Parts: sequence; C-alpha cells; structure tokens
Amino acid sequence: MNARRGADVERPSAPGGAGESEAAGPAGAAGAVGAVEEPGGRGEFEGRAEPGEVGEHREAAEPAGPAEVVGPSELAGPSELAGPGEAVGPAGSAEASGPADRDGCGERGERGEFENLEDIQSLEDAQSLEDAQNFDDIGNSDAEVGETRVVDVRPGETRVVDVRLGESRVEDAPLAGAPAAVPGPRDAHAAERETRAWEQDVLAGARNAVPGSSHLLSGIEDATPAGSGSSARRGGADPVKALMERHRELCERAVDPLEIAAGLEAHGVTDRTATRFRHRDVFSLAEEMYARVPRAAETEPRTETPGSSGTRADWALLALLPGALCAAVVAGLRLTEGRPRLAVTVVGVFAVSLGLRAALRRGPLHATRAWYPTAATRAWTYWLVAYALLGEGLLVTGIDGGPEGLPTGGSGSPWPIALAPVLALALACAPAAWFAQLFAVRARHRLAASRGLEEFASSVRPLLLGAVGLFLCALAGLLALCAAVLDEPAPYAATCALGALLLLARLLTVHGYTHAPAIALAVAGTAETAALVSVFAGRVPGFSAPAVPVRTLTDAWGPGALPALVCGAAALLLLAHAARTLTRASAHATHGDTP
Amino acid sequence: MRIGLLTEGGYPYVSGEARLWCDRLVRGLGQHAFDIYALSRSEQQEDEGWVQLPPQVSRVRTAPLWTAEDDGAAHGRRARRRFAEHYGDLARAVCAGDSAGSATAGGIPGDTSEEVADRFGSALYGLAELAREEGGLVGALRSETAVRALERACRAPGALRAARGARVPDLLSVASQVERTLRPLSLDWYEDDGLGSVDLCHATSGGPAALPGLLARHFSGVPLLVTEYGVQLRAHYLGAHEDPEGRTTPAPARALLAAFHGRLAAETYRQAAVVTPGNTHARRWQERCGADRAKIRTVYPGMEASRFAHVGEGAEHADPDTLVWVGRIEPAKDLVSLLHAFAEVRAEEPKARLRIVGAPADGPEGETYLAHCRALAARLFPDETEGVHAVGDNPVSFEAIGGPEVSTLPEAYTAGAVVVLSSVVEGFPISLIEAMFCGRPTVSTDVGAVVEVIGGTGLVVPPRDPRALAEACVALLRDPERRARLGAAARARALELFTVEQNITAFHSIYLDIVSRCPVQRVVVDDAGEPLPFAVPAEAHVPGRWAESGRWAESGRWAESGTRLGAGRPPGWAAGPPVRGVPLDPDPYDMPAASDPGVAAVAAGAAGAGAGAGALGESDVSGVSGVEDAMASAASDVSDARVPAGEGAR
Repeated sequence: MNARRGADVERPSAPGGAGESEAAGPAGAAGAVGAVEEPGGRGEFEGRAEPGEVGEHREAAEPAGPAEVVGPSELAGPSELAGPGEAVGPAGSAEASGPADRDGCGERGERGEFENLEDIQSLEDAQSLEDAQNFDDIGNSDAEVGETRVVDVRPGETRVVDVRLGESRVEDAPLAGAPAAVPGPRDAHAAERETRAWEQDVLAGARNAVPGSSHLLSGIEDATPAGSGSSARRGGADPVKALMERHRELCERAVDPLEIAAGLEAHGVTDRTATRFRHRDVFSLAEEMYARVPRAAETEPRTETPGSSGTRADWALLALLPGALCAAVVAGLRLTEGRPRLAVTVVGVFAVSLGLRAALRRGPLHATRAWYPTAATRAWTYWLVAYALLGEGLLVTGIDGGPEGLPTGGSGSPWPIALAPVLALALACAPAAWFAQLFAVRARHRLAASRGLEEFASSVRPLLLGAVGLFLCALAGLLALCAAVLDEPAPYAATCALGALLLLARLLTVHGYTHAPAIALAVAGTAETAALVSVFAGRVPGFSAPAVPVRTLTDAWGPGALPALVCGAAALLLLAHAARTLTRASAHATHGDTP
Repeated sequence: MRIGLLTEGGYPYVSGEARLWCDRLVRGLGQHAFDIYALSRSEQQEDEGWVQLPPQVSRVRTAPLWTAEDDGAAHGRRARRRFAEHYGDLARAVCAGDSAGSATAGGIPGDTSEEVADRFGSALYGLAELAREEGGLVGALRSETAVRALERACRAPGALRAARGARVPDLLSVASQVERTLRPLSLDWYEDDGLGSVDLCHATSGGPAALPGLLARHFSGVPLLVTEYGVQLRAHYLGAHEDPEGRTTPAPARALLAAFHGRLAAETYRQAAVVTPGNTHARRWQERCGADRAKIRTVYPGMEASRFAHVGEGAEHADPDTLVWVGRIEPAKDLVSLLHAFAEVRAEEPKARLRIVGAPADGPEGETYLAHCRALAARLFPDETEGVHAVGDNPVSFEAIGGPEVSTLPEAYTAGAVVVLSSVVEGFPISLIEAMFCGRPTVSTDVGAVVEVIGGTGLVVPPRDPRALAEACVALLRDPERRARLGAAARARALELFTVEQNITAFHSIYLDIVSRCPVQRVVVDDAGEPLPFAVPAEAHVPGRWAESGRWAESGRWAESGTRLGAGRPPGWAAGPPVRGVPLDPDPYDMPAASDPGVAAVAAGAAGAGAGAGALGESDVSGVSGVEDAMASAASDVSDARVPAGEGAR
C-alpha cells in the first residue's frame, strides 16, 4: 500500500525541477475533477476512458483509494453560464458533485468497482450543500497565487491538504480564455464541449511535462465525460443561491459587489471557496450574487426618527432660570430702599446674566464653541437689553433737559426705569428655548422625510415663521402680565421687536450663521446709541440739528418708537436671512465630531 | 534622502496602528532622513503622546483628523464659484455609474471610467489648489453648495443606481464624511519647506494618509509610495454599516461613500509610483481597485525573528503528542471547531493533548468566548486520572503567556509538536509565522493570507471543518519524520520571507528605485529668488546613478570611465545598505537593471525566497523527497507567480 501511494503521489524529484513544478499545477487541477467525483458516478468510466490510460486509472483508483486531488477545476466562467435568472447550468452539475470526497476513504476504496452506480450516487447525495460550501477547494485556478493542493489519502489517515505556492502556470492561460470562450448562457452541451476541449489541452500539456504522474491525469480524462453528463442535476444545483440564502442580509444590504466580496471574505470565503461556486475569485462570485439579489423597487422611506434628545430635558427647566432670577431681583428692588437696593441691583444684574449663561449652555439654544458669539456681539446684546431697561427714560428726560442724577429705581427717580420689558424678556427665555426646540425637532423630522433640498426648504419655512410667531405671542402675553403686576406701561412694539431680534440672532448663531446676527445686533445697538448721543449733542447751543429727527420721532409716536423701529428693522432683516439660511439642509446637519 | 512618512492614526503615536513596523523601518534606514506627517485619529490618541523617536526623524508635523475648525474663511465670490465647480465635478465623478449599470466603485478601469477617474483627480486637485490659495475648505465642504452639488449629481441621468434614491439626510452625511476625508486638503503641509522638500512620500496606509502624498505629488512632483497592509477600501466596506454614532447608514449614503472611497483609492493607486501590499490578499484588492500590476510589489511584513532564534529547529522540548494553539482568544479564531477537532484527534490518538495559549481579546466578548470555550472543553473532555492517586488532568489546557507553564512566547510554541490555527477570519497570521520561526509544523485553516504565509510548509484545511482539521493533526502527530521536515522547511521559509531585515531591505531598494526613476525636479533659486540656471546638472536626472553610487565610487569602475558625476562626493543618503538589513548583492551590475521600470529588483529577498518556498512545498507534496532536493530544485524554479521578472537574473 505504501509503495502504491508512493507511486501515486510522489513525483520524481529529479533535476527537472522547473518543468516538474509547472506540471504539478495541472496535475492537481486535473485530479481535481477527476478521481474523487464522477468517474464511476455515471457508470461511463469504462467506456470513455482512453485505452492507454484505463489501466493506469484503474490502478490509481483501486481500493487503496490513493492520492486524489480534489476540487473542481474551473470549467467555465460561472456568471456566463448561470446568469441572474437561470442558475442551473452545466456548472451546477459539476458543482453538486464536487464535494463528494468528504467521506473517508473507506467508501472510496470501493471505487474500483464502478459498476455500482447507485452506490456512488447515494454517496454523493449524502453530501449536503453545507459540505459543499465548507469544503475548500483545491486546484484553485487563481492566476495570482496559483496554489494546487494535493489531497493525500491513506487508508488509515485521511484527507490532508498541502498547498503549494506558485505553480500551475499551465492552467492559467486557458483559464483566462475560458470565460471569453463561453459568452453568455447558451447550450450547455456546447459549453461543455469547449470546456472539455480546454481540459484536454491542459492535460496534453501536463502529460508532456510529467509523464510520471499521468495516472493522475487519467483521472480527469475519465471524469470529464462523466462531468458532462447532462442528465445529472442533483440537489443543490445552484450553490450560489444557497450561498446567497446564507448571506441574505449581506446581499440585500450591499450597495455594490465589492461590499459583498468584503463581507464574504470576512466570513471566510476565499478564492479557493469561490472556485467551488465555479467562479474565478471572490470578486466575480460577489458580482454574480450582487446581480442576482432581488431588489425591492426602492427601499421604503425610513420612518426612523432621528434620535430624540428627550433624555436630557433639564434644559427645559434651566430655561426658566433667568426669568425666575429676574423676578426675584425685581421683587428685591421693589422691597428695598437706599444702599441695600444698590446692592440688590448689582447682585441682581450679575445673577441674571449668570442665569442666562446657564440657560444657554444646554438645549436648543446652545451654540457650539466654534460658533460661540464674539465678545462684541455679546456686548451689543447686553447693550440692547440695557437700553430697554434705561434707554427710554434717559431719552425722555434727555429731551426734557435732564437727567439730574442716576436712576434709583424708585418712584421719585430722576430717570424712570422700565422693569416690565426686561422681566418679560427674561421670562421669555423659556418659551424661546421651547419653541427653538420645537423648530429643531420638526425640522429634523422634515429632514428625514424629504427627498430633495427644495422640498425641505419649502417645508421648513412655515415652521420657522410659526416658531417666531409663537414666541412673539408668548412674549406679548408675558409683557402684559408683567406690566400689570408691576403697574408699568407695556411697550409692546419695542419689546417684541427686541425679542424677535434676539431670538433670531440666537437661532442663526446656533446653526452656524454667526456673521449676520453679529452685524444686525451691532447696527441696532449703534443706532440706539446714536439716537441718545444725538439728543445730548443737540443741547450744545447753536447745534440743535442732530437732535431733530429723534425729537420728531418721539413727539410723533412716543419714546418707544425708536427702539421699536431700530430693532424691528434689524429683526426683519434677520428673519429674511433666516428664511433663506435656516431652511437649508446643511444648517440642520448633525455634525458628530465637530461644530 | 529625505523621506516624508505619511501616517494616519499610526506612528508616532503611542497607540498608533502599525507603529512597530514604522518604527523598525525608520530605525532600520538610518541613512535617510525622515519627516513624519501624522494625522491623528482621536483626541485620546493625541493625549497619549508619541513613541521615542530616533534621531533620523528630523521633523514631525501632526494634524488632527478628528476635528476641524471651521476657520470661517469667508471665500469671495470667485472662490465660491470655483469651489462649486470643482465640488460639482467631484460629485459627478463619484456618482457616475458605469455603463453596465452595476456599480463597481472604481472597478476595472475601462475607457469611460478612465475619464471619470481623470475628472475625479482634477476635481480633487482643483479643490486642493483652492484650499491652498484661499484657506481652509472645512466650511465650504459642508456648505449648502456642497450638498446641492451632491444632490444634483445623484439626480443626474446615469448616476449610480443605488444613489438615485438618496434623501436629504443621506446627502448630508455623505457631505460630512467627504469633508472629513478631505480634511488633509486644508493643511499647510504642501509648501516648499514642507512636503515639497522631501524626495519621496511614503504613505503607510491608503485613504486619508495617502491624500497628502497625492497633493505633494500634484504640487511639487514628489513621488509617492503607498504601503497597505490592510486595504482601506475593504475596511471601509466592512465598517460602513454604521456611522460613528452607531446608527445604521442608509444604502444610498453607503453607495456614495463607497464610490467616493473607491475613486480616491483608484486615484491613489494611479498616482503612486509604487504600491506595496503586505500580502496577496491586499494585492488582489488593489488590483481590483485599479492599481496597475506593474506598480505593485508585495512586501511581506517583517517580524522580529531573534526572539525565536535560540529555538532553532530542535524538537527537544516538544512533547510529541501535544498540539498548541497560540493567539488572542476571540470568536473569529473559532476555537469551538478546534475543540471539536481535538475530540476526533483524541479518538484516534488517546495520548494527544491540546494547549491553548493566549489571552482573551479586549472587551466582554473575548471573556465570554473564553468562558464558552472552557465550558465546551470541560464537557468534551472530562478530567481524567492516570491512577488512583494522581490529580485529575484535562487533556485541554487554557494558559496565558507568563503563566506557570509557559513563561515566554517561544516556549509556548516549542512546547508542542504541532501548532494549530483554526481561525475563520484571519489577516496576516502572526502566530503562524512565529510557529514557523520556531520550526514547528502547522495545521491551519485556509483563510486570509494563511496559504501564502505557509507555502508548502504546513497543512491547510478548509475553515469550519473540524474533521479535516483533526485528520490533518492526526496525520502529523503520527509522522515525526514529516513533522521535522515540515518544521525545517517552515523555519527556512519564515527566515527568508518574514524577517524585519527582509522588510527593511525591500523598502530600502524601493526607495532607491523610485528616486532613481522619478526624482523630484526642483528649480533651484538664488538668494534673490531668481531661478539659477544649471544649478542642477542635467546628469542628476540620469536614472540609475543614485542607486549605490557610494559603492560605485569605491569600486572605481565608473570613475575611470568618466561617467561619474562631478559632484565631489556621493550624496550621503545613498551611502551603503540598510543599517540592519541584509547586504545587497555586491554586484554593481545588478542595480542598473533594477532601475528599469519593468524589472523589479525590489523584492529581491522576498522573491528569491518565494521561489525557494514554492519548491519547499514541492518537497512536501512529493511526500518523501527531502528538503535538500527541494532546495536544489529551487534554483531552477522560477515559476512563482509573484517572482518579478528581474529575479531571473540571479
């Protein structure tokens, strides 16, 4: 037995190293088709084998079940034979019988008597498709590496696969030609005939090179006719389909063949495995799978909503902080007199500004660091609020020739203070945050649902206007309330204009448009400053001209007209800007890592 | 010469990928000056600091890839128009499906895809020029202009099928990912004192790391060498299902991103002077993505062989009945099928033992898997005692390096007669190489680069097939002679192919080869900034001169014939072989051949070994013939597919 084995497997290790190694490839590939599978399978072995080689083959296939080379030698380009629609081709049949050698050599030993066709059939049927896929192919035809693996079967031990690098030159060339030779689905017989012809070529070459191993080659001679028996289309005729079934998710998810190839490789499918599916490499296997995967016309629009940030609702409460602090300060001012009132004022201003900062640190009005407003912008914002608090009184007393001293906040103050608008604005921080959140969430929903940028823009514009409108209503309501409680007049126009300006500026900043708000705030602040300065400059004797416009305006519409006009104009400009920019999809993109 | 080493999330950061390899390369090629241009991948990585840099590193410039400040550079109207134009081109090139309708991203270049590749390249360089002249592109790349351009490209006729259904969120995520990838465009590395001053850019991976190299090539004509041990595009495909926040990326976005990365990879391969994959698997992917085969040279990663040097080929420590598995314990290693296989081995060989050496992979998954494997082992192999008083002993043991039984890695390998690898997924199997260094025969599954590594020096079985694994193990356990033969062959192969020296030598010669073939042509200016005519002698561009000029000078041959140039001394960087490398073939006539583009002297060591290893495999296939015979035939065996043509000259 051992002697036999030696004769089978061993090649002369004589000087002709190069030639030998060249031959080794085809020999491997040849045996691949041969020995293991069909020969007897179809009972045609005897008839078809060429006279000169029958004997040798018999020898090789005798009970000892000697050396075998396993694996389908690439017969034809697979996708050519089995296109998307029709999977069953001649490829299929050979494929199905490919893994037939799984069972040990015990059974194989009987292969000397090939008359028993049933026997072999059942043996092969026993192979599940699973095996077919798990089993790794030999006789790989990859032109790159070109391994050939020889399976070494001894009675006692079993299949052992050795791999060699870099040989099998002979088989490369015809192989490359093979797909070209079999273009598209066509008569199976014709395809097979060609394939056979190719194999014969290979064999011829191989035989010339290595006479010593011709018994291996004879295997393929016998096998080929059997393999071409078009009758046999046994179970698992479409291995690729089974593979697709197994990797269904991968296939359906894939956006191009390379993704399937990568996924298959990650599951351990190699080029050797691919030959089992009658493909040259994983890439072409993946291409077939990609082409064959059934695709729904279009994936349904995802109704998945963007991750709602509802987990952290603390910002909603935090937004109440400035209002609460401001109310406390106002109450303190009302209840104190003299020096304590000064202290309350100082502490109150400080506390409210801190509260505002805290409120803006979280939630929808939070600006990332890169878009943080500059110091100048923040200063202008405070200036605008300060004007709402003090400006009107200063303007009125200035026009009348005052003021005689600093404001005291009391009834007898030389310079009246308007607490109601500021308190209303502070309280309005909460609705501002809520409506901004409403806008952001709704916009994100629209974003997820819209198919185009235009569609998105037109659907978001009403949202923006609605959010601003709601905020203005809330602000007006708060102002009315504050005015009633504090028993002060309610300058609706000026306060609402200022509120709208501040909200829009913040919204734009938060979405990354920092330039326009900065300009709008600066312009509004400068205009108000200029109005005050002009009033005091008009007192210079003989130089009353600068004060005329402001005087006229105040006389006509009252002292609240100036801030209302200035802030209203700025707010309108910002609204126009926001209607253009905040309706852009890019403004609502979530940037994971950066602003 | 001055090498610009481009890394992304790697060297010189302590936690960088492939830092060991880079470190060895930089230390091994001490005669070159290295400028390191590193892109960091996370803040944490930056915080962890750098590794110790050798003196040949003359400068390190880093830039974060994980964050980008929108410098708010408000571009003028013209700049905006230019941006829209270039980005539109880029988007069109990305969205262009190929004529067949199937979307092969950067697939095999045909005539039309060649045009598309051109368009992609020119758009990319257009953007780079814009960034160079007008300042950062971060804001612009995320602007509505960009999103709009993407939308238009997706809706255009002939766009990728999968991209046609792209919705607004898809467009946004694509725009932001593209911006992220193109961040290197906005860097200030490409001036004449930056990457413009190096002689060669060596990108240590594809993708973002290669991008600065592409731009340096575009701006200054610096040749680019791309080394990929794992193909970035493939990694992208595998990791593309989820975005950084863990949400599933919808198909259109993935299609667009895949196409973008595919085109970028194709452009990288197109512009690179040489592409060096780390194994055939990577090579296949590169070829698939459009890399020219003539440019590809496989350079195997090198491993420190000295650790295993003392082991030699001796099998004295080996227990003849022991199988050893070494590695990181994780599901991809498929220890379950190893245990099942071992059950069958035990049925045949009752004395057999299995030692599983390694620590669980990081994270809870590794621990769970280890526990699972232990439980399975306990179930399959109940403790057994030899006598009444002996302590029960399990034939399967789980050990860790540094434990009481195995203190060092070489010991782990040498403890067994056969080293087994049962992975279902494997890149470049390091444990296999280590086993080869130790002269141990191996039985491994046919995954990843295993076959390539093992050559003919071990047994390979299909993955997920315990029975085949068991059969192969039994075959080796029963045949000590074969074990010895395979082990010796394995060791010879590993020492030839997978040593650090081999790796460094290969890169050294690739450097010389590239610089001699496509040197940077700089205009030398005088102090006033006027170009100096004749500052660079015309002969400076003669290919082949740079290579090994120091040695030629010594031999005097070329000096006599008057061909040697007037530059008083040979350039310092070309002096001598690699510091730690194997000396090159002393025959000076070798080198002119090397400079021929078609001929690759590059992988000289690797190629020769490839041929040798192929023949070693031969010896095993033939069953009885000895290693010596195989070695003899190796001399004439030049049929290895990977052997470059130049090898014939040896």
